[in-house]
Amino acid sequence: MLKKLFPLLAVLAVTAALCVAILDTGEAGVIPFWMCIPFAGLLLSIAIFPVVCPHWWERSQPAVVALWSLLFLIPYAGRMGFGGAVETVLDCIVNDYLTFIVLLFGLFCVSGNITLEGDLAGSPRVNVVLLLLGTLMSSCVGTTGASMLMVRPMIKMNAWRKRRRHIMVFFIFLISNIGGCLTPIGDPPLLMGFTRGVPFFWSLRLFPVMALNTAVLLFIFFWVDMRNYRKDIAQGRKPDISKPGTEIHIRGLHNLVFLVMIVAAVILSGTLPTLPAFQNAEGQVLGIHIFGEVTLTFPAMIEIAIILLATLLSFKTTDVSVRKSNHFTWGAIQEVAVLFIGIFITMQPALMLLKTYGASLGITTAFQMFWATGALSSFLDNTPTYLVFFTVAAAEGLSGVATSLGQIPVQMLMAISCGAVFMGANTYIGNAPNFMVKAISDENGILMPSFFGYLLWSLTCLVPVFLLDALIFFR
Amino acid sequence: MEYDKKKLEEIAGRIYDLDAEVYRVLGSGLGRVFNGSRESTIRDLVRIMLDQPKVHYLRSELALIGNMARTITSKADRSRVMTEYNNILKLLDNMPTNFAIDILDQHAAELNSSRLSGRFAEGQHLIVCIGRTYGCAGTDIGFALADKLKINYYDSEIFAEVLERLEAEQDEVCDRASFAHHQNLNQSLGIDKDRTLRERIREFNRYHGLPKEDAIFFNQSDLICEMAKKEDFIIMGRCADVILTNHHIPHVSIFINAPFELRARRVMETDNLTYKGACKLLKRLDRRHRAYYEFYTGRKWGTSVNYDLCINSASYGIDGSVQLIERVINQHAR
Repeated sequence: MLKKLFPLLAVLAVTAALCVAILDTGEAGVIPFWMCIPFAGLLLSIAIFPVVCPHWWERSQPAVVALWSLLFLIPYAGRMGFGGAVETVLDCIVNDYLTFIVLLFGLFCVSGNITLEGDLAGSPRVNVVLLLLGTLMSSCVGTTGASMLMVRPMIKMNAWRKRRRHIMVFFIFLISNIGGCLTPIGDPPLLMGFTRGVPFFWSLRLFPVMALNTAVLLFIFFWVDMRNYRKDIAQGRKPDISKPGTEIHIRGLHNLVFLVMIVAAVILSGTLPTLPAFQNAEGQVLGIHIFGEVTLTFPAMIEIAIILLATLLSFKTTDVSVRKSNHFTWGAIQEVAVLFIGIFITMQPALMLLKTYGASLGITTAFQMFWATGALSSFLDNTPTYLVFFTVAAAEGLSGVATSLGQIPVQMLMAISCGAVFMGANTYIGNAPNFMVKAISDENGILMPSFFGYLLWSLTCLVPVFLLDALIFFR
Repeated sequence: MEYDKKKLEEIAGRIYDLDAEVYRVLGSGLGRVFNGSRESTIRDLVRIMLDQPKVHYLRSELALIGNMARTITSKADRSRVMTEYNNILKLLDNMPTNFAIDILDQHAAELNSSRLSGRFAEGQHLIVCIGRTYGCAGTDIGFALADKLKINYYDSEIFAEVLERLEAEQDEVCDRASFAHHQNLNQSLGIDKDRTLRERIREFNRYHGLPKEDAIFFNQSDLICEMAKKEDFIIMGRCADVILTNHHIPHVSIFINAPFELRARRVMETDNLTYKGACKLLKRLDRRHRAYYEFYTGRKWGTSVNYDLCINSASYGIDGSVQLIERVINQHAR
């Protein structure tokens, strides 16, 4: 049904968008709120279509993404001019999406070349240890790196169990998000803070917040996992432990070197732009001019080159059987690449509105900063969201941590950082690894919750923890 | 199309085979959708198909196989597997909405596995699972019954075999499933203390990261199922009734109990305890026994609906109980 109707609906929608663009008499250069509708539409598509018509959605993702992107771009071009629209799209693709997807691609490929073989059985105790390990690792290799590295061993160890979705949900909460708050390597917003003068080890101040969140969430997880573990056992499921003693082999371990290369590339992308050698006389970062004010900077090119080199070397030096054992496919990265280009494009008006009105929102306390940054980071890219509130806080003129934009009170900066890093866990689209973990789990026999199902998990497990954070640390 | 039990088993078999084929072609080590044996999975799937409200669950499971199948790189393999996937999906879509009622009307007697009569088919072994409370003479009844039926009696022998399988030593681990001797209770409370980190790591390695009680339970489960294929026997406790039910192995389940007062008086004699001491011991053992059973089975220990026969041994005595059980087995089960 939808297969037949979609082209017709698409033509109608694009025609309507053209009419809006022609009839729109609003002030040029000003972004109206209704331009956020395509972003909301894309999010709803991601939420509803996989449940209502999964097969159609799987085939039609690129078309749906293109449609919503056009529905934003046509009225936007009507108001900003064709050149303005092209510049916005190129800016978003070249400066944000390109490095984002290349990093994800690199980590996905390199971690796919490391496989854990053995007969360690997934139990609540083992799962808690693995989640804790992954959470701590996130700050060292980034949330994406830790997620990609840990997701397959986690799936493999729990393969004997039927009820596994909660494991992957808490995996996303802890490893893909909360664990990344201790260093600028952990999550991109903190890297942005670092490039704007926040000391490298300043984020370690967030340890008490992370420790509280991790402890509470692991406690909840253990309880939930134990209930499900008991149900699995009661139904006669059991791991294969026929051989005495545990054998664990890691194949492709040399890929850790390439993982370190990628982490180094991320750090370089944050530090190189601040060096005079990469700046012109006006202090702008040097690079290849593409269109309008869009430039592909040299530090970004270096980052991309290092990541792609690491990926190539990883593939060349690892036996194909390792990838086969890992059930390595391109499906997960392909899905993320397609959906996130649409998300990056359609969320531009929301980000522009945030930049325009962020300072006038009247957000002045750490409590407000935590929730505002967090709520927006749940749906928007958390890096620009962090930067907007970072700038707002710096403009307040209060004393605190010295940054290139001004001083920010410690508690305020902690609230912005925690909001941006932690609350990416609220939705599948809040942070890139969330969707990757979901996609990989889907491909390996785990029935993950739908978009709204996941939201329910975060509302019941995460939001109360964040409320606790707000009351204890940001009041 | 008529959907009888045979047809449902055929569909279930095709679903299982599709999952196995997808997993084989992919060569993945990350696990598959149906991990159990073919036989038990087919039985479970048929049960789901009969339970109409749960058919959506079967479609979700099939969709998971589809997700994996779409990642097959070889076009020919993918096409072959997806064709079968689509065919099964069509079969499921064509199922009648009042499916469960149709089937149960036609074959109610045949499909009702809870009936004792005719439970053991030709060539299947007689297995009697006895659950009991401490002090109700359940062990004596079990022994006497085994003697009368001339079949083996197993209790702590199972545990000794499991230790051998795990290459563990008796002093490292206690038989938590045995409630035949109250000494076990005291042993188990102290066994985990004063272990060094090295010992803990060794234990972690030996039991595959599982708590050792769970590792022992899983091994016990395997052992009981293996034994059930070889011989007739009586097994005391160890959640054997549920283990065998989960593996679709026919058995007779019996629960023996007696009034608390009488159990306490018996324990005073057998364990040389005061009345107060006997009551305290019984309460502790019952609590632990209940917790153990409920942990591994998800069922309520001693609830009559979970057993074929529940006996108050105080009403019949040891010999009377043995005769009663023997009569039930001979008249109904065999």
